[in-house]
Amino acid sequence: MGEPDRHFSFRGRPRSARDGETLLSALSPDRLPLLRRSIQYHRPQGPFCGIGHCAGCLVRVNGRPNVRACRYEPTEGDSVTTENAWPSPTWDLLGAIGLLSPGGVDTLHGLRRPAWATRFYQRLVRRLAGTGAPPTEAAARALAAPALERSVETVVVGAGGPGRAVAAALAAAGVHPIVLERDLHSPSVGGAELMRATTAVFLPPPSDTGERRFTLLAFREPAVGVRIDARSVVVATGGYDASLLFGGNDRPGVLTADAALSLAAPPRRPPFRRAVVVGGGHRAAELLERCGDAVEAVVAPGEVRPEVVRAATDLGIPLYPRSLLLRADGRKHVRSVRLRARGSGTETSIACDAVVLAHRRVPHSQLFFQAGAAMEWRPSVGAYFPMVSANGATTIPGLFAAGTTAGVPPPELARHAETVADAVVRGAGSTEPVRPRPADGPPTELLGYYRELLHLPGHGRWVACPCADVLLSEVEEAVRSGYRGIEVVKRRSSLGTGICQGRYCLPDALLVLSILEERPPPEVGYITQRPPVVPTPLAALASLPTPPVGAELP
Amino acid sequence: MTFARDSYRTVIVGAGIVGLFTAYHLARSGGGPVLVVDRGFLSSGASGRNGGGVRQQWETRGTVRLARESVEAYRRFGREFGFNIWFRQSGYLFLAENETELARLKTVHTLVASEGLASKVLDSAGVARFVDGIAPGAVVGGTYLESDGTLYPFPAIWGVYEAARSLGVEVALGVEALGVEVQNARVAGVLTSKGPVATPTVVNAAGGWSGDFSRRSGLEVPNVATRHEILATESMKPFLDPMVVRVADGLYFSQSMRGEIIGGVTLPHRPGTSRGQGSSPAFLIAMARALVGLLPRLGAVGVLRAWSGFYDDTPDGFPVIGEDPRLPGFVHGNGFGGHGFMLAPATSRRIAHAALGQPTDLDPALFSPNRFRGPAPAATAERLQLG
Repeated sequence: MGEPDRHFSFRGRPRSARDGETLLSALSPDRLPLLRRSIQYHRPQGPFCGIGHCAGCLVRVNGRPNVRACRYEPTEGDSVTTENAWPSPTWDLLGAIGLLSPGGVDTLHGLRRPAWATRFYQRLVRRLAGTGAPPTEAAARALAAPALERSVETVVVGAGGPGRAVAAALAAAGVHPIVLERDLHSPSVGGAELMRATTAVFLPPPSDTGERRFTLLAFREPAVGVRIDARSVVVATGGYDASLLFGGNDRPGVLTADAALSLAAPPRRPPFRRAVVVGGGHRAAELLERCGDAVEAVVAPGEVRPEVVRAATDLGIPLYPRSLLLRADGRKHVRSVRLRARGSGTETSIACDAVVLAHRRVPHSQLFFQAGAAMEWRPSVGAYFPMVSANGATTIPGLFAAGTTAGVPPPELARHAETVADAVVRGAGSTEPVRPRPADGPPTELLGYYRELLHLPGHGRWVACPCADVLLSEVEEAVRSGYRGIEVVKRRSSLGTGICQGRYCLPDALLVLSILEERPPPEVGYITQRPPVVPTPLAALASLPTPPVGAELP
Repeated sequence: MTFARDSYRTVIVGAGIVGLFTAYHLARSGGGPVLVVDRGFLSSGASGRNGGGVRQQWETRGTVRLARESVEAYRRFGREFGFNIWFRQSGYLFLAENETELARLKTVHTLVASEGLASKVLDSAGVARFVDGIAPGAVVGGTYLESDGTLYPFPAIWGVYEAARSLGVEVALGVEALGVEVQNARVAGVLTSKGPVATPTVVNAAGGWSGDFSRRSGLEVPNVATRHEILATESMKPFLDPMVVRVADGLYFSQSMRGEIIGGVTLPHRPGTSRGQGSSPAFLIAMARALVGLLPRLGAVGVLRAWSGFYDDTPDGFPVIGEDPRLPGFVHGNGFGGHGFMLAPATSRRIAHAALGQPTDLDPALFSPNRFRGPAPAATAERLQLG
């Protein structure tokens, strides 16, 4: 990154970005910007995930709505505006909706009387709903690009450490894979064709007629359609930092460790000075190492690991183990957090300008679900993983898992990658029957954590699903009304139907439902992982050739 | 114990909109006790997977009348059931790409108008006023009926479910009906995955699985399940009011209350329920091409999710309603061809009548289970099986 060399306008004012810098980074010189309001109640909502999934940084660029500022690098002359606030996200008159209805609007039973007013309600609600205005035709034309089609032996999804290691081992054995990587600037992988800025969005089960082959749909930013036909697929999509339920959990200034670490990539300074880090494990340690001078305190739902204690002590940062995070205060940006010590019940406030969530990492398992691989609930993480044998083979022949998604601990990653590559090359399936592993430790500490939180007053107004503005009280109401299971509660409350498709709300919702329904999380079920994995431009899909009519379709 | 009682006056197979509405009408007219069984969770079948369209433009008078009655029922729904289903009457717009299709739509228009509905024929400029940004030359014209509309299916399901339950109807979810028990050549009970239950009357309202259930009960029926896929895009500010349907390829889409474009297009999938309710790359591509071809600016909109559900198709496109003459006590309420939600309020009253052994006012030549037997195929057919 060099001198500012890309000039664009943001809400009509001139701004600039360095080469290779994302729009979000350019708009966050020292703290996270307020770019949008939540979809229903128009609460201030901040950039949260930093990896292109949440709704927190959606903006309109050159007439194209819902562009993720964290994945878009401005080009000279871009016109960037905000979307769903009037007149601006900072001063949004529509915020009155949230102020007038602090307990939420009951759209399920309400707004239907008197009958003559329903047309008026419908028009009003429709105008208030919706994120950006529809795209301009010019914006759609600018996206038109020829599709990429490939037919290969093996495709590797993800060019993080494990994906790279598998690709390198494959290349050494003479199989040159295609590697898909979502990151915009991933370094190349020797012996493999790397497709950067490319997200795999749909991996259906392999064809069951003739030779079993996979069809993988993907798209390269901004809207290049990609279709890869492959005999085997290695999924190494890694994990992401999960969300947490507390008051104000999508306020600007609350962000995941993924977002904090990517925004703090050298030579950038992190977009905070006094952050409260949530979590007491590896990820918290990483944050202290990378931006410890901008950390105010470390708060952990459970115990704190020795390396975090050491790092915090060296930096003189106070630790708050076994603490409930009650809320983040501050109207338009986080100014402090309120904690309650588990057990004693002592409450503390800490002044801060950010809350960084680093307490739990869960795998990106969507492609395994789509492909029909058998999945298993891992209690210690509180998430679903594909069932795999020692060589990474799943229950779907030809589909392998590597790295975090295979549940491999970091020290064994390199050796595991070799084993996976060997199995792929030999066309081997699982070396042993793929069967559920024994419980991998005690259930996640968050179960007990949420059990305590759900007894505290006021939690009903917390936001269970920021994308669709679903309150925790609506989830509780669904369960009280006799609706059970995540699939039903999802339909009843709209939880998980917003732009991140449940990626951030589901991991916590499963635990909460397990407590409310008084049964283990796996019995609460899981939401069908519907394609695409991330919102995919229609232009990208439309650029791909239609399969012949009458062909047997899966 | 799985069920509250050993025997019921009526057992309904399928807790979709048709089964629940039928249970509701039965309970209201003293036809209980009623048990509804469903293999999945509430709204796991087509009733929870459709695009929410409700229209009265059909090719046959019999269907138009049932549809008109259903629209009136959905208008009253909020008052009657206490749930807001967001029934928005902003029209169905049928598109014709050529004069032949337009002539067909004009025939529909004449029929619909003769039933007192304010249908309109539009030229291409008229269509463009409803569909902002339509590709030039994409259509020659179309028809429009403003009192058609869209609703939000889930609250409709919950509304009828809760109303039926408050009238004493028992709903057992996660229970699969495996067939019927026959004694003295009539229905004596239903075999389920949780054991048998006695009843003199079973109503087959199993949607896409109704053909399977009839056949498992020893009744040869022509019902075929066909998988239809659907997708939803990211949400946008409102710019499209009507449900848009293209005759040529079955493309349909509307913009929901939340601002998403929701719609599908017909693809030649292998019939049957065995492949589940999944999605295919072919659909995503075909649908994207159809949408972008008609409304180019949608190219810059993201697809959020895709899913599918089963149509329960019959050879002539009419539903099957009434007691099966081959097996007394076996009542059909199926074969809706993807239009169960549209027609449920009106048809379920007739299905309830049939279950009580009362005559219905339906034309047996169009709706009776008996019509597929005998040498001559039915003369009329309902082919406007779109959107």
